[in-house]
Amino acid sequence: MRRSHLASEALAVLAKELRSELRSRVALNAVGLFALTTLIAVAYQIGPYRIHEDDRPHLLAALLWIILFFAALSGLARVFVKEEDAHTAKTLRLAARPLAVFGGKLLFNLLLLLALEACVVPLYLALMGYAVTGVGSLVAVMLAGSVALATTSTLVAAIISRASGSGTLFAVLTVPLALPLLVVLIQGTRAAAGSAAFSEVLPALRAIVSLAGVQLVASLYLFPVVWHD
Amino acid sequence: MTDKRVWKWVLGAWLLLVIWAAFFYAPAAKGFKGESARIVFFHVPQAWVAVLAFCVNLIASIRFMRGHDPLDDARAATAARLGLVFSVLATVTGSLFARVMWGSFWNWDPREVSIAILLLIYAAYFALREAIPDEERRASLSAAYAVLAFVTMPFLVFVVPRIYWSLHPDTIINARGALDMESRMFQVLMGSLVGFTGLFFWLYTLDVRLARVKLARQRREEV
Repeated sequence: MRRSHLASEALAVLAKELRSELRSRVALNAVGLFALTTLIAVAYQIGPYRIHEDDRPHLLAALLWIILFFAALSGLARVFVKEEDAHTAKTLRLAARPLAVFGGKLLFNLLLLLALEACVVPLYLALMGYAVTGVGSLVAVMLAGSVALATTSTLVAAIISRASGSGTLFAVLTVPLALPLLVVLIQGTRAAAGSAAFSEVLPALRAIVSLAGVQLVASLYLFPVVWHD
Repeated sequence: MTDKRVWKWVLGAWLLLVIWAAFFYAPAAKGFKGESARIVFFHVPQAWVAVLAFCVNLIASIRFMRGHDPLDDARAATAARLGLVFSVLATVTGSLFARVMWGSFWNWDPREVSIAILLLIYAAYFALREAIPDEERRASLSAAYAVLAFVTMPFLVFVVPRIYWSLHPDTIINARGALDMESRMFQVLMGSLVGFTGLFFWLYTLDVRLARVKLARQRREEV
């Protein structure tokens, strides 16, 4: 009963986030336009022919994640920063339990990341002539990577929303924490592009899932401290 | 009081002995260019102390979250500061070794990348502390960040260097679980580890004592 109550609270927070985002579209516009601009710049300057055949697997995977990662950074902090800016954080503290708030905000960031990937990845594959052999493996890597990235960025967003200069601080705190994840994601994407065999992406996938798991558990433990400091 | 002062001199003498032993007692390692491998007696203890300092930072951060004692926050900040200093020293000594062995100060080896990311993470910890003027809030938010940073560390220190091919020599106890080091070299390395650990705790205690005095004065002024 209590558990289902927590889940429904988290879903209510998610619904509130979705409603408010669809009303203002600030995060969607920021993330979408950043991704599109970077993608056009990369595709125009490099395109499908300017990278040597031997360098393509690694460079194309790295460029894809650089575009996705930095585009995501421009919008993921908003879930908590907007509550502080609009002075609604105190009301939210009274309305829902900390874990429900974290769950709802995490799900919103996850959906934002998945929407970003759903739009950018097919465009990137087409514009850069990037042939992916293991589509299923790539989807698995993207899903696991999104969970890990959403978890880290949601907790960091909660931390920086209580500090001054939160816009720049979000990138300063998130980039070093997400770098190990980014390294493994690039490795996994390269493996998925090169082979249809799921076993090829398994080492990277294991590392991503374990990193996501560890960060999720730590975040669930830490969020109440951050939220009620 | 006098006993504590004696320990300071014992530590100084011990470290001098380690430096002498590193150059004159331990033999030159086989398979390395010239005398370059002697840097291991300083590089490995520095890396060890950095990891130890980040562990102390984690423990102090968790203690702060439970008890909200400002001294625990001071302990966490001191440990992170010392961890950062020893990480820089380990990076510099590692780069000097890389220059002699592989011809370049930086080779984007997985261990070099790992320590660079670790430096960035703990530099970000201080950026966060600087950005929060309120002391209580600064302490609890930086404690939360410290815990999140620490859970990433095993991936940097243990996972990434083992996933990717590395130029870095085997660690002291290698992947086969065997100890691969000449006996006198091992003695000097252990001596150095003890000396550097002592140096860390001496510096840590000094800074924490200073923080305790500052907090006591602050409390007196508030009353």
